[in-house]
Amino acid sequence: MSVNDSYRRKILKKNLPRIFQYIILFVAVVIVIIPIVMLIFGALKTRGEFMTRPYTLPIPPNWENFARVLKMPGFWSMLLNSFLVMLATTSGVIIICSMAAFPLSRMKFRGQNLIFNFLTLGLMFPITLAILPVYLMVRQMGLTDNLWGVILIQTAFQLSIGIVILCGFFRSVPSELQDASYIDGCNAFSFFWRILLPLSRPALAAVGALTMVTSWNDLLVPLVLLNSDSLWTLPLGTMQFQGQYGVNLALIAAFVILSAVPAVIFYLFAERQIISGLTAGAIKG
Amino acid sequence: MKKNSFGQNVQTLPRMTNPVRRHQDRMAIMIFLLPALALFLIFLVYPIFQSVYYSLFSWKGFGPAVDFIGLDNFKRILTDRIFLKAVGNGLLIVVFSLIIQLPLALALALMIGRSLRGRAFFRTIFFMPYILSEVITGIMWMILYNPNPNRGFINAILTLIPGIKAIPWLGNTSTVLMAIFVVLTWKFFGFHMLLYLAGLQNIPPEIEEAALIDGVNNRQMITYITIPLIGSTIRTSIYLSVLGSLQVFALVWIMTKGGPVNASEVMSTYMYRFSFVRFQLGYGSAVAVVMLLISLLFSLAYLRLVRQTDYLN
Amino acid sequence: MKKFTLVLFMTGILLVSGVFTTLAAEAPVTITWWHIEIVENQIALWQGLADEYMAAHPNVTIEITGYENENFKTKLTTVMQSGAPPDLFQSWGGGVMNEYAKAGLLLDITAYLDKDGWRDTFAPGALGVYSFEGKNYGVPRDMGMVGFWYNKELFAKAGIDNPPATWTELLADVQKLKDANITPIALGEGDKWPGAFWWEYLATRIAGQAGFNAAYSRKGSFTDAPFIQAGEKLQELVALEPFQSGFLGATWGVDEPTLMGNGEAAMDLMGQWAPGAFNDSSIDQKGLGNKLGWFPFPMVEGGAGGPADALGGGNGFTVGKNAPPEAVDFLKYISSVDSQVAQAKIGLSLPVVVGAESGVTDPMLKLVQQGTAAAKYFQLYYDQAMPPAVGSVVNDSVQGLFAGTLTPKQATQAIEDSAAQEIK
Repeated sequence: MSVNDSYRRKILKKNLPRIFQYIILFVAVVIVIIPIVMLIFGALKTRGEFMTRPYTLPIPPNWENFARVLKMPGFWSMLLNSFLVMLATTSGVIIICSMAAFPLSRMKFRGQNLIFNFLTLGLMFPITLAILPVYLMVRQMGLTDNLWGVILIQTAFQLSIGIVILCGFFRSVPSELQDASYIDGCNAFSFFWRILLPLSRPALAAVGALTMVTSWNDLLVPLVLLNSDSLWTLPLGTMQFQGQYGVNLALIAAFVILSAVPAVIFYLFAERQIISGLTAGAIKG
Repeated sequence: MKKNSFGQNVQTLPRMTNPVRRHQDRMAIMIFLLPALALFLIFLVYPIFQSVYYSLFSWKGFGPAVDFIGLDNFKRILTDRIFLKAVGNGLLIVVFSLIIQLPLALALALMIGRSLRGRAFFRTIFFMPYILSEVITGIMWMILYNPNPNRGFINAILTLIPGIKAIPWLGNTSTVLMAIFVVLTWKFFGFHMLLYLAGLQNIPPEIEEAALIDGVNNRQMITYITIPLIGSTIRTSIYLSVLGSLQVFALVWIMTKGGPVNASEVMSTYMYRFSFVRFQLGYGSAVAVVMLLISLLFSLAYLRLVRQTDYLN
Repeated sequence: MKKFTLVLFMTGILLVSGVFTTLAAEAPVTITWWHIEIVENQIALWQGLADEYMAAHPNVTIEITGYENENFKTKLTTVMQSGAPPDLFQSWGGGVMNEYAKAGLLLDITAYLDKDGWRDTFAPGALGVYSFEGKNYGVPRDMGMVGFWYNKELFAKAGIDNPPATWTELLADVQKLKDANITPIALGEGDKWPGAFWWEYLATRIAGQAGFNAAYSRKGSFTDAPFIQAGEKLQELVALEPFQSGFLGATWGVDEPTLMGNGEAAMDLMGQWAPGAFNDSSIDQKGLGNKLGWFPFPMVEGGAGGPADALGGGNGFTVGKNAPPEAVDFLKYISSVDSQVAQAKIGLSLPVVVGAESGVTDPMLKLVQQGTAAAKYFQLYYDQAMPPAVGSVVNDSVQGLFAGTLTPKQATQAIEDSAAQEIK
């Protein structure tokens, strides 16, 4: 056995796990991406083509569906409305959930368990049924046909998930940090604001991403609460392509892609901001 | 000697017992909890009370509820073969999610979380299924599952193998639940992966560096250091996965409406059918209450178990 | 002096009445109108009618919203709960509408229909679908019967010269098609209601109007012999395996029209909206063209039903309880002959207003319309005719028949149990 052979074997052994990992990741990407690719293909076909031959390559590509969606009068207003609702809901959820998770995970007080269990109820009740009494309530408050009604409801129903996730993360911050900060003269508020939140950026980003997606795709709440189509959000727009007697899949595909693109772009942009803030947060006092 | 979260002994400082700070703390607690509690009381507690109220009636959904029948709805639910099947299917989904979806998400998060070339690319791709709405996900997968190999991609691939015939995934009572589970995994593993990634980012790099200097290999690193350090994230992920699996609705309704012949029935499709299709909202409310109770039971039990672990640390 | 006072008085009255009339004429009225059309030219037609009306009545504003079918049902349910229905909205008549009427959520327009002979402009059977306990709550705009849409070319290929006239002939034809390697029937039983058409037609042919009325009025039962026989006949068909693979999970929206439109299945028991869907789902968007034929559901030997009996349904608009009189006036406007002809021309409706038949140009649709008009016994689809809970049980039970998980006795028993509970 020459030196070169054993050297080569060592390199291979070191890199094998890495190559193996890349293969697995690659296979996973392919599996994950198949439906999405088919969706993109579908948007480039005519309706009949998509129904009859869904997974073939769209050659020649038919851009008409995208054009139609972009020319739709409501598309841009729906985009704006979705954006406004998403921003408001996400900010609301992040702020309210982090505020609530703080005492629940880092302090001890009577009734703590009860309140925590109470705040998890949002995960246990089907929203499709909750919407009926919620609609009545919103109506009494005069908030139907108003984006704020949608924002309030979306926020309320996302609280449970946010609180559960943030409690888990806040708990993992070492208690010495909290004690030390109190000795340095911090009170609860400044600890929360100056130390806990910056340290929890990844968790806040995760909650933000999840809320963003849920709000962006929410169909039920805007459907029930809003009447004027000037207030409609994007998911309501897909309705225009689904009829009692037929579904225009190709147009829906184009619409869905064009709706998802801004969300994805915004998510990537926001993520980069959070990541760049991470290095700052990693410096501990 | 007190131990910190990493199991090391630390010196603790004497706790200060300033009564003014104690009072301030109580105020602080109330202020921090107020917004969440307020929103909850208005928008969640009210619907739950409403549903509990209506569950005691036979009610069509409009006009006042007049036909009081006490616990009859609940008796009917617990003796309905179809509801019991729905609960069974729900439990199957819970179990399969725990043993397939979560480990998958964890494995991928571990692979991507490290310094791997193209991390951002993989992260985004794996999160894409979660970004797509449930409606369009259901529609796309129905197309993928089409029994005709000319239309359904999965059967197209399958029939390339000689001797294998196309399978009607959503039309066959023995394959439909599995087919739906694949879609659920596809859609939601990105959610858990995101959680694990966030947890991994929380691990101070010094610990891993110190371990590497001590000479641990990859497997030891993962088993003894990484996973324990994201323990609370994993526990959160399990909690959310079980509750989410019990509540799953839109994907199942769009793809099969709980069929064929109730083969893919879950509690929420059962509830939806009675409430919105059959206009039997008293009964539907009772189903929602039962769903709430089952979830609550799990939640209380799980949290007590988990709290013990956390306190032991 | 007296004359002067009189003149002053008269002027005063004129002025005052003038002011009042102007005020009354200008009292602004808003009408909310919810429909479920999504095709562009259909939306445009409704909007066009609304614009015309608004131009003629400047104080009226009509707010139109178009919803997707399932979403519409969800939205309507929530809104009905609050007791504030829209002024004009899509309705399929029958059981669901009856529930709303019972709850006092609809406006009784019987008096409006009696005025100026508005009532007589409608085909009586169709109008009856939108009445409950002798009172009218809405008007139809589209009504048609379910029948067999078939591919003439595929039939010829299998050696079938004429469409089947009896159930036995139908089964024989199915076998001929199978022997020629053609999928005999396209069925989206995942949606449940397409399959229900089969059983309901068999029940209509075997039980006849008397049989159904007996069961529905609760003097008889849905477990009576004719209904069980309908199930048994259906089993005969299912045993032949005439449907495409995976039909239990297939849908009307995608699978049935794709198969029919591309010539991959020979026949489809469906309503008047079928040809449009077939065309849209075909690869070239043109569908079968003149290869598409239509024949009515065959007679069942020994059945009590008549040859002109029809199962079918359609669409119309009902009036919400808070609607202003202008809403009913507008409803009258969109029910005119001209409007119906325009609707027929774009395939939106099969007209129900007398004199609008000329709008139907497609020969197949003409057959459907003539059959509908000639029907002595027109049965609304069961899931519309009966209370929603019973209709849902019918759909679910029939799916059980198709899947072989329920016997005809069990299926009819389930329907009967539900009927006993809901129909009082």
